[in-house]
Amino acid sequence: MRRADLLIGIGLLAFAILYYRESFAITVGFASDRLGPTFFPRLLAFALGICALGLIRRSLTGRSDVDPLPPLRIGLFVGAVALTLAYAALLTPLGYVIATLLYMAAMSWLLGYRNLLGLAGTTAAVTAVLYLVFVRALNVLVPMGPLGR
Amino acid sequence: MLERFALGAQIALQPLSLLFMLVGVAWGIIGGALPGISGSMAMALLLPFTFGMDPAIALMMLAGVYIGAMYGGSITAILIRTPGTPGAAATVIDGYELHKKGQSGKALGVSLITGTIGGVVSVFILVALAVPLSKIALAFGPAEYFALGVFGLALISSFVGRDLLKGAISGLLGLVLATAGTDPFSGTPRFIVGKTDLLSGVELVAGMIGLFAVSEMLHQIGESEAWERIKGKFTTDLPKWIEIIKLRTAMLIGIVMGTIEGLLPGGGGAIAAFISYNEAKRWSKTPEEFGHGSLEGIAAPETANNVVTGTAMIPLLTFGIPGSNSAAVMLAAMLLHGIQPGPQLFERTPQIVYGLFVGMFVANFMMLALGYLSLRPAIAIVNIQRPLLLTSILALVLIGAYSISNRMFEVWVVLLTGLLGYGMRRYGFNILAMVLGLVLGFLVEVNLRRSLLISLGNPWVFFTRPISLALLIFAMITLLWPIIRQVRQDRKQQRLLRDVGDFTELAESQPRQ
Repeated sequence: MRRADLLIGIGLLAFAILYYRESFAITVGFASDRLGPTFFPRLLAFALGICALGLIRRSLTGRSDVDPLPPLRIGLFVGAVALTLAYAALLTPLGYVIATLLYMAAMSWLLGYRNLLGLAGTTAAVTAVLYLVFVRALNVLVPMGPLGR
Repeated sequence: MLERFALGAQIALQPLSLLFMLVGVAWGIIGGALPGISGSMAMALLLPFTFGMDPAIALMMLAGVYIGAMYGGSITAILIRTPGTPGAAATVIDGYELHKKGQSGKALGVSLITGTIGGVVSVFILVALAVPLSKIALAFGPAEYFALGVFGLALISSFVGRDLLKGAISGLLGLVLATAGTDPFSGTPRFIVGKTDLLSGVELVAGMIGLFAVSEMLHQIGESEAWERIKGKFTTDLPKWIEIIKLRTAMLIGIVMGTIEGLLPGGGGAIAAFISYNEAKRWSKTPEEFGHGSLEGIAAPETANNVVTGTAMIPLLTFGIPGSNSAAVMLAAMLLHGIQPGPQLFERTPQIVYGLFVGMFVANFMMLALGYLSLRPAIAIVNIQRPLLLTSILALVLIGAYSISNRMFEVWVVLLTGLLGYGMRRYGFNILAMVLGLVLGFLVEVNLRRSLLISLGNPWVFFTRPISLALLIFAMITLLWPIIRQVRQDRKQQRLLRDVGDFTELAESQPRQ
């Protein structure tokens, strides 16, 4: 936990500096108020920087709590995140229906569901319900891919 | 006043409102009963559905979800010893014992009835406190609002998590995220990192779905163990009225604690539920039954968490400051529909506020009816296969995010904030503080700048107005208190160590026999 806090602290400090620098890219118009669009962000950058330094200091001096992190099923986690990101990325080329069917089936399988009949049934049912509710009833304009509209 | 309630009733008792509220309560019970889905998550998942709705109906429906989820959470707590929502954590203790004894129906019945009583009472408390408070809030100027925003953030950062520093960082990150988009005063774009999609800022609904729902799903996938399935026989014999009447002390304790927690920023009823449980045990005539299936042990926390549903709306409606996850989702829903919460709400759109009052009153009775009917189907909900549930929720999240503005941008926002939220959870940061920062960023910055505009740049404006000064002092104390406590604890520990050291030295200096 302490090493993690150190790395997070350094990351936050870098982010605060970057955010501060980025505030100079804002064009301040004449119509603005006294403080302008840059004051508040810079104040935040400053506060965040201080807190990040505090976190770094604490992680070095050993005052942070040393609760061990709960074990992470790393393979499953990375797989699930990758599948979900792939689902989002493939939504436009494949279209909503195909992408959702594939995602539902692959994800349920990945998470340990092995009953093929149940898998097919749930995948079809959930996709159908989501399609009917969002696309048909709420008129959400999802990409349809090769299936067309 | 009375005509306003009539107006509210007119809105809340339309067939369409009743229908959507019923859907909301049912979804709340299901969501609450599904392990891993809390009330606020069930509400956030429903947000995309409310886009086209009348704002008053949308809010009533979300309040219905909140109310339903409080009972739903106790179903899981009683049947599989897993709180379906954080507020039901204390219910596990005696609820599961009763289930083991074959009195599941009695436990669920007590939760349902005391919850309904708590919920109905809380609507009266809400009305009694919110209306006069909104009159006070009317006197607030920009300086007071700035101070109030700072105070709210300070409270959440320091009280909700265990780690003040990480809480403060979380709140700051939320504020930083809120600055991306278009500057509210000058209209200049800032921090849009070359993305025109970001010009309107980070969509609150997307941020919340990501931080609350996606992060929880990732946590379930990566860390948490599979939940149990219902063991033992499930009975549906309800408690007798005489048994309910005996629970009045426990319920009263629940009402008091729930009111206090609703007014303060807290963990969605979880703290009130635990304190009520302990107090009910202390005041009980039969404290020895606690932990072995006491009905009072269910009544106290379940009354408390349902009372919070009403009282958590008080700071939200009167000042526009949400004190819990669920209140934050309500705020997002209001902003989504172009409603700015705060005292003007009571004057400008009384139909929304009073509609919500009447709606919440009705929703509690809907919970009673639906809860009774769902005693049997509850088994199916609780025993659902986890991989299918997690996958379906993620699929729902994705299309929900897409539907916010019919584009992919919000989908990516949801997924990225979900990953960020999961990391924050894992390393002890405070998600609620971040959400609150995101929600309050606009309010804090705009009122800071407006105050200084009015005072011609004189920063003393925040310290010469009494309410603003008091709030800023409270904020300071809130932030400093944990540090002072830490320093004092350290001193004590050092003294203890020194004493122990002296003692060991003394012991070692003694010649050994």
